[in-house]
Amino acid sequence: MEIRITTKMMLQILHVLSWIIFIGLCVEAGSFLFNAIFTVAFNPLAADYFKLTELYQYDYGFFLTQLCLGFIVAVLKALLFFLIVKILHDKKLDFSKPFSQALVKFVSNLAYLTIFISFFSNWGANYAKWLASKGINMPDIADLKLDGADIWLFMGVVLLVIAQIFKKGVEMQTENELTI
Amino acid sequence: MPIIVNVDVMMAKRKMSLNELSEKVDLTLSNLSILKTGKAKAIRFSTLEAICKALDCQPGDILEYVAEEK
Repeated sequence: MEIRITTKMMLQILHVLSWIIFIGLCVEAGSFLFNAIFTVAFNPLAADYFKLTELYQYDYGFFLTQLCLGFIVAVLKALLFFLIVKILHDKKLDFSKPFSQALVKFVSNLAYLTIFISFFSNWGANYAKWLASKGINMPDIADLKLDGADIWLFMGVVLLVIAQIFKKGVEMQTENELTI
Repeated sequence: MPIIVNVDVMMAKRKMSLNELSEKVDLTLSNLSILKTGKAKAIRFSTLEAICKALDCQPGDILEYVAEEK
């Protein structure tokens, strides 16, 4: 039997996947926040979760800044997937009229978010590198979820271009609709 | 827009209703009203041809240019 994947099915699968990723990213953001508070307020050993014990012992201000950068990146990523979940949930994607103002806004927002993610990842990674250069044993940036700043930047720029194309598409669609 | 669509004037002259015209020209009523209210951005030659045929007139009878006041 031939299985045909329709656009509707594809969107449903994407919806479920984005929900899962969104929840995962919320948990990740929460782990940064919880770890920071718990380490400083209750148990310094909790710093080991992100392998930052040595940094915490060196100075807890640096430790908090490093976790804060990771937290910002995780929140932005969660926000990115929240926007995707939202547009899939509201069913704003109409394939008979694909170019809508809502979609232009959606793609531009995604672009700005990815550029911000890239900026903060880069900042966080450089911060970790700087701390490592001071002789502190730092974990890999992948463990701090701060890797891939260049890829995020690339994605942001591509999305910005796509948003501009969509803007032109909206103009053309309205003109086409108003041609009798 | 400096281009004014006078379809309603021509329709009145020919004593044709909007429904009748929409059937003859094969346009939806909503599209005809877009045309009548001047919201339309463009008109296809085929549509113009069909309207001229239905109303037995020239394009100049339907479309008029009026310079915009500044």
